Amino acid sequence: MTGQELIDRLRSKFKQAVEGVREPVAGKFYVTASRSSLDRISDFLVNTLGARYVVGAGSDLRPRKGYFEVAHFFSFDGDKLFLALQTSVTNPKVPSITPTVPAANWAEREFRDVVGVVPTGHPDPRRLVLSDDWPEGVYPLRKDFPYDFKPPSEPAAAPKFTEPPDGTTVIPIGPFYPVLEEPCQLRLFVDGERVVGCDYRGFYNHRGIEKLGDSVLTYNQIPFIAERICGICGFVHSCCYCQAVEEAAGIDVPIRAKYIRSTMLELERVHSHLLWLGIAGHIIGFDTVLMQSWRIREPVMWLCEKITGNRKNYGMNLIGGVRRDIPKEVHPEILGVLGRIEAESKALVAAIPGDTTLVMRLKGVGVLTEEDARRLAVVGPTARGSNVPIDCRKDHPYAAYDQLDFKVAVYSGCDILARTLVRMDELFEAIKIIRQALAEMPGGPVQAEVKEEIPAGLEGICTVEAPRGECFHYVLTGEDNKPERWRVRAPTYANLQALPTAIQDETIADVPITLGSMDPCFSCTERVQVADVRTGGVKVMSHEELLALSRRR
Amino acid sequence: MRNAGSGGPETGSPESEMEEAVSAVAIAAVNLGVVIALAPLFEGILRKLKAVIHSRKGPPVVQPYYDIFKLLGKEDLKPTPSLIFAVAPVVTLAAVLVVAAMTPMGAGAGLPMGDAIVWIYLVSIAAVATILGAFASQNPYAYVGSSREVMMLLTAEPVVVIALIAAAVKAKSLMMSDMITFQVRNGPSISLVFAGFAFFLALQAQLAKLPFDIAEAETEIMGGPFIEQSGPRLALYKLAHYGKQLIFASVLVSVFVPWPHVPVFPANLIVTLGKVLVLLLLVGVIDAVNPRLRIDQSMTYFSRVALLALVALAFAVVGV
Repeated sequence: MTGQELIDRLRSKFKQAVEGVREPVAGKFYVTASRSSLDRISDFLVNTLGARYVVGAGSDLRPRKGYFEVAHFFSFDGDKLFLALQTSVTNPKVPSITPTVPAANWAEREFRDVVGVVPTGHPDPRRLVLSDDWPEGVYPLRKDFPYDFKPPSEPAAAPKFTEPPDGTTVIPIGPFYPVLEEPCQLRLFVDGERVVGCDYRGFYNHRGIEKLGDSVLTYNQIPFIAERICGICGFVHSCCYCQAVEEAAGIDVPIRAKYIRSTMLELERVHSHLLWLGIAGHIIGFDTVLMQSWRIREPVMWLCEKITGNRKNYGMNLIGGVRRDIPKEVHPEILGVLGRIEAESKALVAAIPGDTTLVMRLKGVGVLTEEDARRLAVVGPTARGSNVPIDCRKDHPYAAYDQLDFKVAVYSGCDILARTLVRMDELFEAIKIIRQALAEMPGGPVQAEVKEEIPAGLEGICTVEAPRGECFHYVLTGEDNKPERWRVRAPTYANLQALPTAIQDETIADVPITLGSMDPCFSCTERVQVADVRTGGVKVMSHEELLALSRRR
Repeated sequence: MRNAGSGGPETGSPESEMEEAVSAVAIAAVNLGVVIALAPLFEGILRKLKAVIHSRKGPPVVQPYYDIFKLLGKEDLKPTPSLIFAVAPVVTLAAVLVVAAMTPMGAGAGLPMGDAIVWIYLVSIAAVATILGAFASQNPYAYVGSSREVMMLLTAEPVVVIALIAAAVKAKSLMMSDMITFQVRNGPSISLVFAGFAFFLALQAQLAKLPFDIAEAETEIMGGPFIEQSGPRLALYKLAHYGKQLIFASVLVSVFVPWPHVPVFPANLIVTLGKVLVLLLLVGVIDAVNPRLRIDQSMTYFSRVALLALVALAFAVVGV
C-alpha cells in the first residue's frame, strides 16, 4: 500500500472527520482528525489496515495555538510508512482508543498524568508515571508548570494495586530485587508455584527528561541528555533525536557521519547483547555464562573508550552529524577486537543449543504467541522471536543502513530460547555490518554546518533499532533554539506491557528469566511520560484473566 | 588379631570395652575436629575452582573462615520472636555435628560406627530444622524456598536411603563400618556400583549445588529459606552446610569407593579426605557448568534416579 492509497482509504471511509493531511517528508503523514473520530480511525488503522501502534503523545500547545494536542503514532512496517494521528482538544478529554488498540494502554495513561487530557473509556485509568504522592490536578508537562517546581507531597500515598484473586498469595518482585537493575514493583498473584495474575507499578526512576527537553535545553544540548536516558543504549537515543530534528528541519547529514553513526550503533548492539547474555545466564543461575560473556565483552568497552572517550555516553552526536571521526588508523584495531569477540562468542553461542539443562530452562518458557505479539505491538527481539519480522533498520531506514547489507533474524519459537537465538544472530550480523561500514566508509566532513536558526512548528519522527527494539522520537520544533515538544518512547515501554501475557500460568521460577528475556531497560522506559497505562497494560491482561478466574471460582 | 572383623574384640571383657569406649570417643572427637576445622577449607577450594572456570581470580581459599568469623561477630537480628526461628540454626548445626561424630571417615577402621538409619534420620533433622526455621521467619520468599526444600528432600533423600539400604543388604548389617569392611573384603559389585552412582547423582541436590540449588535460588527468591538469617545465625547455617558437604562426600567415598584401603588410622583419614577432595572437585565442576533447574524438572529427574537406586537394591537383594 502506498502512502497515497493509505490516505485515500482514510478519506473515503472517514470523510469529514479527516480534517487535514500533511506529508512534510516522503512516507511520514500527519493526519489531523476530529476528536470524536480518534478511536474509530485508530481502530481502522490497526485492526483493518494492519498498522502497528507505536506510542501516543499529549502536548500542551496552548501558548502558540491555544489548544492541547493528542497524537497517536502508527507504523506500517512493510510499506515503510508512518502516520501520526493528531487531534486538538480544548476541553481536555479524548475518547480512549485502548479498547480496540490494547497497545495504547500506557500511552493514554501517560498523557493523562502529564498533560491532563483524560482518555474517556479507558479500562484502567490509574496513575502511571507520576509518583503516588504527586497531587491531583497538577500536570507537569503543561507549559505553565516550571520544570523545577516541586509540588507539596500528598501524605500517606501508596500505589493502588488490584486485589489478588481468592486463594492466591502475593509474591512481590521489587522494588528491590536481585534480578532488576532498576526499581519497579511487580506483584505476582500465585497459586503454589503457578502465576495466576500480576500487577505492576513502575516509573520509580522517572526523571522528567521530556520536560527538560522542552523547557531548558537547546537543540544541541539535548543529545547529551538523550544519551543518558538509557543505561546501555544511549547512542540510540541521541541518534534518534538528532535524526528527528534533522528530518524536521531538512538538514542533510554528510554521508560519512551516517556511516559513523551506523558503526557506533552496531558496536552498541554488540556490547548490549553480550551483556544481556550474561544477565540471562545469571538469572537462571548460570554464573559461568555471566562471567565469560562479560569478559568477552570488555574489549568492546575499551574500544569505545578509545574511539569516543567513554565506555558509554559517547557524546558523539550533534544536530547535523557527529563530533568525532573514526580515523583510518583505528580501523585495524576495531577489526581486531571484533574478530576476537566473534571467535569467542561463536564458541559460547554454539554451546547453547547443546546444553540440555539450559534448553530445559529456556524452551517453551515465557511464550508470547505471534498473535499476542502483534496485538500488543511488541518490538525488537521480543517480536522477532515470535515470528514478527519488524526491524527499523529495514522498515524505516536511517543513517547508513540503506547502503549496508545485512539479515534480520526472525525465529518462530515464541519462547525465551527463540529470543536468545535472535540476539545471538544479531550479534554476529552486527559484527558483519561494522566490517562493511568500515570498509565502505566514504570520505568527507562529519558534520553539516547548520547556519540558520531552525524555524518553529516543524515536526520530525525517527525510529532507531535499539538492541531492545524500536526506539521512537518525535520532535516539534519551537522558538528560542529548542523544541516545543519532544516525545520519547523506548522499546521496553512497549514490551513490558506484554509481560503479564508472557508470564501467565508460568511458575515463579520462570518469571525473572521471562522478564529478562525482554531485556527490560527501565531507565529507558521510565522516562516515557506518556500516561500510558504501563502498569495498566500489564494489568489489563491480568484484569481480564482475574475476572475470568474469580467467576470460575 | 584384635579389632578385626565386624564383631570387634571379644565382648564382655572390661578392658576391651573400656578401650572401645575410649577409641569411640577419640574417633568421634577427631571427626568433629576434622569437620569443624576443615569443612570451610573444602568450601574455599570449591570457590577457587569456580573462579578458575569463570576466568577470574576468586577469593582466597581461606575465605569461608573469614566469612564465618565475621558473621559470628555481627548483631543478632531476629525478625520474629518465634522460638523455632531462634533455635533452628542451632539444631541444624547440632544435628550436622552429631552426624559428623558418627560418620566413618576412615578413622573407624574395624570399630562399629555409622548406623545407617540413625545417620539418615539425623541428616533429615538438619534439613527439617532449616525448613521449620524458614517457615517461622514470616517472609514469602522463605515460604517458597522452604516448600522447594521440602520437595527436594522428598525426591532426593529416598535415593540416598535406598542406596544405603542396598549396601546394607549386601553387607548384612546396618553399620556403615560393616559396609566398608564388606566392600574392602569382597571388591566392587554391580549393585553397589549402581547404588554408588545413584548416591552421587543425589549428592548434587543434597549439597544444594547447581543444577539443584533450587531452594536457595538467589536470583529467583533471594536466598529462600535463609533470607531472614543474618549474623551469627547465618554463620551457624554456613558451617552446617560446609560440614554437610564434607560428611556426605565422606560417606560416598568411604562406603561405596573404599579403595585404596589403608588400615592404619591417620593414613586412612588422609586418604579419605583426598578422595573427598576429588569428589568435591567433580561436584564443583558440575556446579559451574550448569544453570539451575526448576523444581518440577528436578523432581522428574530424581524420580528417574530413584528408579536407578531401586534397580541397585534389586541387584543387591538378588545377591549380585
